[in-house]
Amino acid sequence: MSNMLTRLNDWLDHRTGHRELLHEALYERIPGGARWRYVWGSTLVFTFFVQLITGLFLWSAYSPSAQTAWESVYYIQEVMFLGKVVRGVHHFAAQAMVVLMALHLMQVIIDGAYKAPREINFWLGMVLMQIVLGLSLTGYLLPWDQKGYYATQVSTKIMGAAPVVGPSLQYLAQGGAEYGHHTLTRFFAMHAGILPAALVAFLALHIYVFRRHGITTPDPHRAPEASFWPDQVLRDAVACLGVLAVVLFFAITKGAELNAPANPSVAFEAARPEWYFLFLFRFLKFETIEHFGLAFGAIYLPGLVMTVIILMPIIAWWKGGHRFNVVFMWLLAIGTAFLTVLAIYEDNANPDHQAALHAAEREAHRVLELANGPAKIPVEGAVTLLRNDPFTQGPRIFARHCAACHRYDGHDGTGRLVLESGGGKAVAAAPTAADLGDFGSREWFHRLLTGYGELFRPLKNVEDWDYDGSEMKDWVDTHKEVLLKEENSNDLKAVIEALVAGTGQQNAEINEELAKRGQEILTEGTLTVGEMSVCSDCHPMAADDDASDGYPHLYRYGSAEWLHAFISDPGDERYYGEKNKMPAFGEQLSAHEMDLLVRWMTGDYSETNLEKPLSRRKEAEAALGAPEPAAEESEESAEE
Amino acid sequence: MTDDDSSIRDPHDPQVHGATSSDAATLDADSARAGLTGANTSPGPRRNFLVEGAAIVIGGIITLVPILAGMLFFLDPLIRRNKGETAAAGGENGTPGGVIKDADGFIRTNVSVESLPEDGTPQLVTVYDDRVDAWNRFPNQPIGTVWLRKTEEGNVQAFNTVCPHLGCSIGYRNSENDFFCPCHNSTFKLGGEKQNQIPPRDMDPLEVRIKEESGDAVWLKYENFRAATHERIPV
Repeated sequence: MSNMLTRLNDWLDHRTGHRELLHEALYERIPGGARWRYVWGSTLVFTFFVQLITGLFLWSAYSPSAQTAWESVYYIQEVMFLGKVVRGVHHFAAQAMVVLMALHLMQVIIDGAYKAPREINFWLGMVLMQIVLGLSLTGYLLPWDQKGYYATQVSTKIMGAAPVVGPSLQYLAQGGAEYGHHTLTRFFAMHAGILPAALVAFLALHIYVFRRHGITTPDPHRAPEASFWPDQVLRDAVACLGVLAVVLFFAITKGAELNAPANPSVAFEAARPEWYFLFLFRFLKFETIEHFGLAFGAIYLPGLVMTVIILMPIIAWWKGGHRFNVVFMWLLAIGTAFLTVLAIYEDNANPDHQAALHAAEREAHRVLELANGPAKIPVEGAVTLLRNDPFTQGPRIFARHCAACHRYDGHDGTGRLVLESGGGKAVAAAPTAADLGDFGSREWFHRLLTGYGELFRPLKNVEDWDYDGSEMKDWVDTHKEVLLKEENSNDLKAVIEALVAGTGQQNAEINEELAKRGQEILTEGTLTVGEMSVCSDCHPMAADDDASDGYPHLYRYGSAEWLHAFISDPGDERYYGEKNKMPAFGEQLSAHEMDLLVRWMTGDYSETNLEKPLSRRKEAEAALGAPEPAAEESEESAEE
Repeated sequence: MTDDDSSIRDPHDPQVHGATSSDAATLDADSARAGLTGANTSPGPRRNFLVEGAAIVIGGIITLVPILAGMLFFLDPLIRRNKGETAAAGGENGTPGGVIKDADGFIRTNVSVESLPEDGTPQLVTVYDDRVDAWNRFPNQPIGTVWLRKTEEGNVQAFNTVCPHLGCSIGYRNSENDFFCPCHNSTFKLGGEKQNQIPPRDMDPLEVRIKEESGDAVWLKYENFRAATHERIPV
């Protein structure tokens, strides 16, 4: 049998000469023996092959166009078998490659492996480095999510700031004046075709020239000479296993990020480059640097550093040149590490950035919920899922149009405090209208019926609003005691149930019997113990009731149709009439925006397991001042 | 060709003429072998020059044609832009159910002068237009956002929210009552004037028209500008 194999091997060798080739590849001499410090190059080759393999398979499921890129990545990530792992490995191996490249470069400089006669090979390595950075830059955009979209915008704009050819280069890279289908097709062609092909070619040259000169050993006499196979191969394999383990660990436990689909009309405040470019990002925040123009900080200076590195083999021709190079690299490494840590530290300490990150995470989560729904993703693309989602857009519209006066659980709807400048510091601004966080809920009606004055204390809606002279407050003050009587507790519940039933809110399960009893109380005013004057004494209640200026119509109070009509024109005679001060939003909001806002306020959207943003009522109330004695004062300050 | 043949045989000529037929045969074989092993034993400069030249020219053509064609194809966006042929982003007036736009390209927003806060607080407004992306026309799409505000004189100012530094989105900070970009900390006054050295220029103002016939609605000409330049260059 083995004889047969040997003969087959001989036959093949006679025709291909593979034995010599194999011998050439495996029995490279390593003076001084195999060492761990030589593994970096091999780990890089390994990581590149991981990228090639995972990349090819990802390609089989990726579709580069503005309406399908995010969607196909979503499908890979969330639906396809092992999609999360394959994409995760590709994502984290890319980062590993950048780290390993930096280590390889440091090792080459420190060991002097770039010196004559290895100049050319050093430069080949520099070319490879540019290709790898190009791969990570082009790959970042391909998922077409908010993060990649906005971060790459910055990269192409830096490209556009290059002298003379910059604008044309940017135009070429984008495939037009703006990002679109052709930006993706071009980036994909670069990422999956041109750059990998170039990388393979230069890698072959790099290894060929490396073999020609042999390994650089800082200390050839430390141990007996060894050969590449099997001593160094074992060390390389162990190192590659380590890299693979780290990559797999991150791929499985953390997974590659997929933000909300790219949307040019929604600002992405959490925009940051990939972490290994953070130093450059942070660098561009120095005013003294930016003072010289963007091209200086983003192109000339990094270009100068790169030029020095490229010239290092020549610098080393002179005495002391090598030492200069090593010191330069260490300073560069320390500077880069410092700026990276600084950028991360500043972002962690910046509540606005943290809030933006949190919002981005919520949006990413929400779009997955919608895409996973039975309706799947419409042909116009996943970006319309969020665009038409009340849960996503409601808070935004609220923050934009309502939060100047109103609050939502103390914040602006999106979870942020409404701030103003107070003594040179940002402080929570006092609201000038009701907090609508639980509008239309049982709690809301409970507070309305038993603490109206408190609920509407910040109110500026009504001309000459007088907190103490309000009729509604009088009603509450008169009836609070009787409503809160032990014996009447069921009656109060019933009244609230009837009012909640009137709103038709989506998430309220109505106890019909209780609501019926409540309706009786509301019309007749008879409680178990005592009586109350009914709403309809002042307010119009039935659908066809006449308008009564100043006493808002309460037919289906809090329902979608009531909200729609009220928000459109609160000064209508059916609502506050001439007393009204709230702007009419019928003109300011498009029909679509109005619909989204109202549906959000009434809970009319597909289910989500996202929590509402944390309540910040305490902070908003603190800004308003203590209820009784300070009330007037805070009203005044709010008016200012 | 005959000249070439004789020139190859030249060095052997005396022997060929004064030799027996069998000798001639072996010598012929020799000279043939010499021709096989290469030009160095019997170089023919003129013929080699022609062969090499032709090989280089043909090789060059067959390599360059696909490369050049491909490169020019890749330059398509630039070439068509220079000819003014690329589909401009932005739509025609009166697309059904969509954007309202006048002859000068001003787009109607759903904001009226009256609805803007008197105290000059800016308001974020999304601009809708038909958008052309290569082979698609998307009707009535949000193409960008604009800060609108009323000045003390009662005029309306509009600024593109795209930061002139590197194109992130500029936000309004009511705590500072200024404009602020969260990427590289560019800061601007409410009037758009830059407050630090990060951005290369002030915020990009957009042309505004107030049209009485549309109930004092704010119309604006939405434009984007090149990032990181001192001058304002539309893209």
